[in-house]
Amino acid sequence: MTGSQIFSQFLSGVSRGMILFFISSGLTLIFGVMNILNFAHASFWLVGAYFTWTFWKIFYSPAFGLWISIPLAALTMAGIGWIIEVILIRRVYERSLPEQLLLTYALVLVIGDVIKLTWGVEDRIVTRPKGMDGFINIFGAPFPTYYIFVIGLGGFVAWGLWWLLHKTKFGRTVRASVFSREMVGALGIPVHRIYAGVFALSLFIAGLAGGVQAPISSITLGMDMSIIVECFAVVVIGGFGSLPGALVGSLIVGLVYAFAILIIPKMALVLIFVVTAIVLIVRPWGLFGTPMRA
Amino acid sequence: MERITRCKIGGLGIIILLAICFLFPLPVKAAEPYHLGVVLGLTGTGAMYSRDGKNAIEMAIEEINKEGGFLKKHPIKLFIRDDQTKPDIGVREAKDLILREKVKCILGTYSSAVGLAVEDVCYEYKVLHIPAISNTEAMTVDNYSPYTYQVVPNTYMQAMGQVIGISKYAKQKGWKSFASIGSDYEWGHSTVNYFVDNMKKALPEFKLAKQYWPKLGETEFSSYITAVIGDKPDFVYAALASKDNIAWMKQAKPYGFFDKFPYACLISVTEMVEMKDELPRGVIGETRAPFFAHLDIPMMANFIKNYRAKYNEYPSDWAVMEYDAVYALKQGVEKAKSIDIEKVKNGLKGLTVNTTRGKLYFRKIDNMLNCQSYIGIIADDPKYPFPIYKDLVIITGEESWRPESEVPGVREKSGLAKKRKPEELKF
Repeated sequence: MTGSQIFSQFLSGVSRGMILFFISSGLTLIFGVMNILNFAHASFWLVGAYFTWTFWKIFYSPAFGLWISIPLAALTMAGIGWIIEVILIRRVYERSLPEQLLLTYALVLVIGDVIKLTWGVEDRIVTRPKGMDGFINIFGAPFPTYYIFVIGLGGFVAWGLWWLLHKTKFGRTVRASVFSREMVGALGIPVHRIYAGVFALSLFIAGLAGGVQAPISSITLGMDMSIIVECFAVVVIGGFGSLPGALVGSLIVGLVYAFAILIIPKMALVLIFVVTAIVLIVRPWGLFGTPMRA
Repeated sequence: MERITRCKIGGLGIIILLAICFLFPLPVKAAEPYHLGVVLGLTGTGAMYSRDGKNAIEMAIEEINKEGGFLKKHPIKLFIRDDQTKPDIGVREAKDLILREKVKCILGTYSSAVGLAVEDVCYEYKVLHIPAISNTEAMTVDNYSPYTYQVVPNTYMQAMGQVIGISKYAKQKGWKSFASIGSDYEWGHSTVNYFVDNMKKALPEFKLAKQYWPKLGETEFSSYITAVIGDKPDFVYAALASKDNIAWMKQAKPYGFFDKFPYACLISVTEMVEMKDELPRGVIGETRAPFFAHLDIPMMANFIKNYRAKYNEYPSDWAVMEYDAVYALKQGVEKAKSIDIEKVKNGLKGLTVNTTRGKLYFRKIDNMLNCQSYIGIIADDPKYPFPIYKDLVIITGEESWRPESEVPGVREKSGLAKKRKPEELKF
């Protein structure tokens, strides 16, 4: 095993981790602020990918098509997020966790059928934009240029969320409402609007992630269910409700998977859940979570 | 008064009727039309392949009807049904075709599960069956029915074809080791294991270096790709389910993977056309009936010309095989000199037929046409707006099908004797 091989495995692990972070950051944000476990989050991610395909078809252009489609898809998802929060999610804040899960799981099924009705069952393919379909050599390891964009955007999203939550008034209000919803409400701040905003923001990131995913693989039904399980592993490892936890958890899952493939390929998927189980035993609230929230 | 009028009108009616009968005698009784049923997955996963098959069948029927139909006197009437790529619906539609439309033969089926179900229905009602897209070997070996004739290289032949084709390339290019990557479920494992086992027999010095099993539905293969690149095998064998295969190709291409490693998977003309920009050049593909392999056969040349004129596209493998299915049936009818099902069934037994893929014959023990499998390297060709195979290796039916001596053993295991009459299993 050479150094460049280990390095290229590392890079592929980071790329995989970043894609997981895109989804799990929204998942953890919704849980942290609104105390809702959104089982349907990956389904929204998938819808974002389908919207990207639609916009990409409309603005067909090999060089710029994708760069217009991704933000449009993300904005569409944010709008859908606001509506869903107002119509559905708002009604279950006070309910028990199983009831919330029932609602979000039902959303998974509904979204699956909506996708079938809207986009059909065929696989949808988006090609990578011109100039991002090749690879460069980093220390002798080939690395696709598109993943540089993925990792860059992942880093930007992480920074952007931190900035939003810690440096803006909106963020301070959001953090305050995590600790005391009633108090924030008593101060005359429209809490329901804050919540709808957080939900829309999470779906905006999901839409962004779907757009980023679109040219990586083909867009197919059932993709959501295959990735949501790994995202749950990420938030369990990182700690429910913690954004730094989601970032570190994603990288851990991505890297464990990448190196397991190099050493014992048959065990790759199992190892992720072994790590998850160990974290659950040693630190049930996750690496960055606080015992109170767990 | 009223009663009289009624009588009068009644009488007049009868007279007029009689007059019509005498004035316009019925035309000379035309020969009975041939009712032909088609069951294809026109919606669902098989929609794209099935559409091509349907187009080719309609074209073949048009051609034959222009000459007056089967035996130049039985015009063919076509009944097309959609099985939605689901076995239960396939059975329902097949039964309906047989009982209501009185079809004498059912063509089609995209999915092997539907194919097997329709095979049993056709056996039960004694109707001919030519499954021209689905290709599980079980239809001709494990679950053989004397009414089913197969014109597609079956799963066994395709797998064997790969082994033969790849070992030819390996010898030519001096390959020493290979890696395998297969979707982690039944089909992925059985396909990879079959290839590995037979490769060991065919070319022992060609060693298996490492095996990878990504989960079914994997969307992110980069860690597998970098791992395989690190192994530096001479060749990579893949059995990834269709969607996963597209994801894999999309992700491996930017790594320059296909410039470094010859890689084999199933690529039919449909994929060559639909994925013409995406498809990595240099990949080794296998398919069932590519039109460009037989341009020298007049029947194929004609078929391509007419198909392009009618549908404005090149015929896919699926179109080629359904077209051959209709013409095989036609030659069976001609051999039997009758459209009677039993006579045609016996006429087809062991018959040599002209197809777009050459003069081929049905083997008696399993009604399997000795059709070829095709392996080649994906490359651009100035003659076509999409890439085709270069360095084409054609593996004949005799090279690749299950040896006759093994067939009874497989049938014993599958308990076929319980489902068929003893005289039907004597050859």
